[in-house]
Amino acid sequence: MMADPDARSRPAGAGDAGYTTTEEFMAAAIAREVRDGEQAAVGTISPIPAAGVLLAYWSHAPRVRPIIINSDEWWPFRLGSKEFYEFAQKGRLDLFFLSGGQIDRWGNLNTITVGDHERPKLRLPGGAGSAMLYYWAKRVVVFRMEHSPKIFVERVDCVTSPGTSPPSVTRPGGPQVVITPLCVFGFHEEERALRVESLHPGVSPEDLRARTGFPLAVSASTPVTPAPTPEQLELLRTRVRPALARIYPVFARSAFPVA
Amino acid sequence: MPVRGHVGSDYERLRPEFRVIQDPYSGTDVMIVPPITPDVSLIHGLAADEDGNVLTEEKEDDFVLAPASRAVIASAERIVSHDELRRLPYGLLVPGIHVTAVVHVPGGAHPTPVRDCYRLDEPHLLEYIEAARSDAAFKPYLDRYVLEPPDHAGYLERVGLRPPA
Repeated sequence: MMADPDARSRPAGAGDAGYTTTEEFMAAAIAREVRDGEQAAVGTISPIPAAGVLLAYWSHAPRVRPIIINSDEWWPFRLGSKEFYEFAQKGRLDLFFLSGGQIDRWGNLNTITVGDHERPKLRLPGGAGSAMLYYWAKRVVVFRMEHSPKIFVERVDCVTSPGTSPPSVTRPGGPQVVITPLCVFGFHEEERALRVESLHPGVSPEDLRARTGFPLAVSASTPVTPAPTPEQLELLRTRVRPALARIYPVFARSAFPVA
Repeated sequence: MPVRGHVGSDYERLRPEFRVIQDPYSGTDVMIVPPITPDVSLIHGLAADEDGNVLTEEKEDDFVLAPASRAVIASAERIVSHDELRRLPYGLLVPGIHVTAVVHVPGGAHPTPVRDCYRLDEPHLLEYIEAARSDAAFKPYLDRYVLEPPDHAGYLERVGLRPPA
């Protein structure tokens, strides 16, 4: 049972087994992308990827090493973010998560300005390490908690982190999938573009087209994204929630119902 | 300094001081950037001694910032003896050679947390976020927390953070 993709999470309810929050749905979709044995890192302001990685770790991927910034228990480094960045630049980072104020069809991410850079309509938080990590994490899952034509555009106003690079640039990694509250996009290597892989339950091709600012190949025969299993919901509500609350206390309270 | 990634992004046009050169070892394109050399850095540590050695939270990257800066003002929750600083169980030491001045400022990171001292002051942070929405809304915040308290102890009292005994 899918929560309204328009709504942010609803208040935590007591153990309604038939009810899944958008956050839980996306955490489970993210967990599906985590492969066992990976060095999987989660950056700042990323509670859903953190939940997804921990869910994977506690279910199908017990040999994953979760690396979660701003946590003590999931931080294996002792020399700050410098050590983490160097770890990535050595090619050791298998999986990372990134987002963008705008995300375009070509996998380009914009985290700097929307509109004219000199007089922007919107000033975003900035690139941080994304213009390096997008190249050096072997696989990047791009995620976004909203899906609208202003976010998913044909071309970003500012290419903070490009989706692909020419052969003259050393680039071991890049985008693998893009996960939103409406669908999962795969990144098509040859076309170097996003393609719809699955629609979430209750989302029609027309809905998706109306909310996406670039053309889509999507139809009634497009697969449906699997919903979280009861086991995954149980794990999210009993194990992931308290672990996440130590890093994102406010988020964890509202996003996952008490089991 | 060379950096990884970035080549082919809009950093090339937004930051003219970032240059793309050919890496002499691999022949690939590499971005080089001028180093950041702060004139002054302010860091806040867990403890410091009178030689300017400062025990810092490793996640703050102060051990990178301090040696790169021309001057460093280090505030610390506690000022302790050199021997005690060496025995403290947690922290990354920034050697005193990089530090210009040490200031005793308990509660100095408020409303953000300091390990083993105080937690994040979530209500205060929410108050700040609301106040920061406009100049008009921010003025009362500034008056109440910055301009009116006569000293740091006055600030701590106002935010309800008791300094350690």
